[in-house]
Formats: sequence, structure tokens, C-alpha cells
Amino acid sequence: MTSARFRDLLAAEWIKLWSLRSTRWLFGLGVLAIIAFAVQNSLDARNGWPDFTPMERTRFNSLNEVFSGLSATMLMIGAGTVGALTIVGEYATGLIRTTLTAVPARHRVVAAKLTVVGTVMLATGALISAATFGVSQAILSGCGVAVSLSDPAVWRVLAANALLAPVSGLVGMGIGALLRHTAAAVVTVCAVLVIVPTFLQPTVYQWLNDLYALVPFYVWRTCLGLPQLRDDPALPTVAGSWAVFALWPLAAAVLTLLVVRRRDV
Amino acid sequence: MPTGHLRPPGNRPTARCHARPACDTVGRVIEVDQLTKRYGGVMAVNGLTFTVRPGHVTGFLGPNGAGKSTTMRMILGLNRPTSGSATIDGRPFARHRAGLRHAGALLDAGDVHGGRSATAHLSALARGNGLPRRRVSEVLEEVGLEGVARRRVGGFSLGMRQRLGIAAALLGDAPVLLFDEPVNGLDPEGVRWVRGLFRRLAGEGRTVLVSSHLMSEMEHTADRLIVIGRGELIADETVAEFAARGTGAGVTVRTPDPAELAAVLTPAGGHIRQDDGGALTVTGLSAARIGELAYERRILLYELAPRAASLEQAFMELTADRAEHRSAVPGGDPR
Repeated sequence: MTSARFRDLLAAEWIKLWSLRSTRWLFGLGVLAIIAFAVQNSLDARNGWPDFTPMERTRFNSLNEVFSGLSATMLMIGAGTVGALTIVGEYATGLIRTTLTAVPARHRVVAAKLTVVGTVMLATGALISAATFGVSQAILSGCGVAVSLSDPAVWRVLAANALLAPVSGLVGMGIGALLRHTAAAVVTVCAVLVIVPTFLQPTVYQWLNDLYALVPFYVWRTCLGLPQLRDDPALPTVAGSWAVFALWPLAAAVLTLLVVRRRDV
Repeated sequence: MPTGHLRPPGNRPTARCHARPACDTVGRVIEVDQLTKRYGGVMAVNGLTFTVRPGHVTGFLGPNGAGKSTTMRMILGLNRPTSGSATIDGRPFARHRAGLRHAGALLDAGDVHGGRSATAHLSALARGNGLPRRRVSEVLEEVGLEGVARRRVGGFSLGMRQRLGIAAALLGDAPVLLFDEPVNGLDPEGVRWVRGLFRRLAGEGRTVLVSSHLMSEMEHTADRLIVIGRGELIADETVAEFAARGTGAGVTVRTPDPAELAAVLTPAGGHIRQDDGGALTVTGLSAARIGELAYERRILLYELAPRAASLEQAFMELTADRAEHRSAVPGGDPR
């Protein structure tokens, strides 16, 4: 008797993700909007280039222009919301009872969902990171400010940009599993991922800086997303920032597994 | 053992499910043992023990809030019992990997995502259990939803959702099937269809458990009944046995001389009750025996009609009894 393999569970979650119109719209419009921002910012820079002061020209870095804080905000909220909805959508509708009756091994269902959402988010993040970089390079190539891929810092920024989506998506799933209520989950995702971290600024208190250095959006804004790092003990380190990018989704995945396993549905 | 090859009565291979793996093991039972679920201070299910066997439609009856849905959810591993156990084929259901192949269930017609089409909903379920894609179109056709397969479930009526839920339960061709209030929202044609479906599934040797709070519904569908009230078992027997418990069964007799008839029937073992309209209801004797006794004594009878017991009445009497019993215990009422 052929029992259900993990591959089948992945396929099932894949079907569930893409058979919702909302997912397709969110992914489609989100990717297009962020690329459109990159195009607009790059065109603005190219058109304004002749009027830039020498100071402005020196400080200009196309990586900052093409994928701004606003793009990151949109990406994190979008990915976090989709992630949360993949879980909340099951609980709020009652579908979870049908799902877990069909596949009673809850950890396998959750693991499949985490894998599918995480992978789709990673692919989407990579697409956005590469596409925004590509179009800006093409647009700004005439100005002589195109950045070189031989610079390791460029790869760091591109990787960090690409990882924002899977990090946010998995954190969204954890929040969704915990709250199981659509509106509450979406508001919490926005607050935790973007709104609260937006107000965090380096301070004179090192313990506060150390605390801030545990927040994904903050470490992206002040470290991983910057082409040129400042050597400042108040700012997060690169290694620490990568650890934050790894630990948040990991913690969210473990939380999702535990919560779904323990609770009655 | 008189024969070397013993098989439970319902366990016969049928044309419908030949060559499907799950059917080799048709004959599985649902066993519930001292199952208890407490929500805060309220006992939703209290020490429930029963067995559901293959080859029958077993009705699972109780008034609203009796604990039917909670019990079904515990059988399916969705809710964790406070104590006791529930197994399907000797194992807790949660241990099965491909659930649909062991048990199919319709718990609530609303347990779907309104944004997906019927096909997408069933395809995900089928794929997760390693079932072939053709099963989706097969079950959609079986429940009569093939025409709306591509439409979003959000636009479905309750009856259509019930049919979709039944389709999901049938996907894995499971030997054990559970349906929680499946008739709600179905039109008369749908009700007749679903009765026929349950009978056929039981006839194929499957274990079929159908819950309802409507006794009259079970009268036409079930062979056996498990009746619960306030989370406790009230009855676990055949429909006929259950009906016989009610006072509705008996023989209606009209005679111009009730006193003399009573004098004849009582020594023969009959119990006589005077009805409002002047007729007598006799229990404990068959209509034929009453006729014989009356004939011997030359007592004139205007009417002699055996009356089938009403399940509804038996049900009301038993559950009312239970409620009285419960509230008579000081401090025994959980509410």
C-alpha cells in the first residue's frame, strides 16, 4: 500500500497556496509594484544626475535607490501577510479540521506548509532582488554609477534583500498559528515586522542597541541592506544580523509546529 | 473453529472497490473506551464507551449539545480526550499517515476555504493522501457536483457544501466513514440520495457512523443506534430494540366492552392503557394473540391494529428521563 509521502504533502500545500485568487494577486501585484518602484527611482536618479552636486554623486549608491526602505516595508508586509493567511485561512474557515482529518500527522502537514511557503517566498525574494538590481543597472549604466558584482558587499545586500521575504513569510506563519484570527494576525504581522522596528534608532544606551540588533527589519536597515557599512559599535554586526535572519524564521517554524500540534481544532 | 476461513458478515468484496488497497481491510471498527472530554467545568463527554461495527449504518443520536460532535472529533484525533481513548482499527486515528484511506469524514460542511474551487479543494486533499487525480472527478460525479466543480465554494449553498463534504469523505474509499449532521441543508431529493448512499456504503461492508439530532431521520437510515445525552451513553442497540423501549409501540384495540377485554388480556400478559379517544393500547401481546383471546371469549372488536413504535417518542422519553435523573442529583449538574 502506497502511503502518503512527504512529496505528496508538498504538492497538496502547493495546490492550496496557488488555488487562492488572493495569493496570485498579492504575489503578482507585489512583485510588479516593487520592480516599478525600482524603475522609477532609477529613472529619477538618471534624469537628476546632471544636476547632482559632487558630494551627492560620491554618496550616491544605486543599491540604495533601487530597493529602498519603502520597498522592504511592502515586501515584508506582503510576505508576512501571505504567510499568516496560509495558517489563519485554515483555522478561520474550519478547513484545518478537513486538512487534519485527511492527514492526521500534524507535524508533517505543518512541515510541508512551512517548506512550501518558505521556498516560494525565497524564490519570490530572489526574483525581486535580482529584478530590481537588473533594471536599475540597465537604467543607470549610462551614468557611470553602476555597481560591480565583484564587490562582496553587493552580494550581501542582494542576498539580504532576497531573504526579507522568506523571513517575513515564516514569521507571519508563526503569528498566524498563534493568533488564528485574520485581522489580529495581519495587524500583528505589520506591527512586529515593520511598524515597531521603523521607530527603532541607534541610541547612547548599548543595551538598547543590542536589543534592537535582534529585530530583522532593523538589522536590514542599519546593516545588511547597506552597501557601505559604518564601523560603529552602536550598529549591528554582519554576523549578528545573519543570525537574526536565521533565528526568527527558525523560531517561528518551531512555534508553528508546537502550537498546531498541541491545540484542539 | 468450524471453518478455516472466517470473515465478518459485512466483509465481502464488491465490484465498486475492487483492486483498491483500502478495501482489503474492510471490516474495521470504531472503538470508544471511557472517552471523556471536559471543557473547564463542563463535561462535554463523560465516560463514553461503545463500538461501531462494519456492515451497518449506525445512527449517533442525541439532543443538541449532547456531545456528538465532540466525540466524533476525538475519534478523528482533532480534539484530545481528557481521558479514555478512541481508536479506528485498533489504533488512534492520529497515528495513520494517509487519513483518508482509513476514515472519511464530514464534520461540518463549512470546513472548507470559500476561495477555492471544489476541484482545487478536493485535489489538495487527494494529493496529500497520494490518491490518483481521477478520484476527484469520480467523487464529484458521485455527489452530483461535476457541473460546479470549477466554481468557488464560497458561492455554494449549504446543500452543495454538504455534498462537497461527502465527496471529500469518499475520496480515499475508506472502510470507516463518519458524517456529522449530513442531512442539514439538503433538499428532499438530496436527503433521499444521501440515505441511499449510506445504505450502499454499509452494504459494501463499511463502518458508517451518522450523527443527527433528528430521530425521525435515523428511522429511515440507521440499523443500529448509539444514543447519548449530556455526554453519557443512553442506548446502544438496534433501531427496533430502541423503538420498543418507547411507550409508542403496541396494538390499538377498539371494543364496546373494554373491561371484559382487559380481564382476558391482563392474565395473558398484556398491559392495557386507555387512550384519549376511547381506544386501548395493548403492549406485551401480539395483535394475533389479542384477536385469538377475544374470539375465544366472543368479545366484539371494532379495531385491531398493530402500531409501529415511534423512535421519536422513545428518544424523547429516554432523553427526558436522563435530564430528570441528572438534575435530581444534588450538585450533579455541571452547568
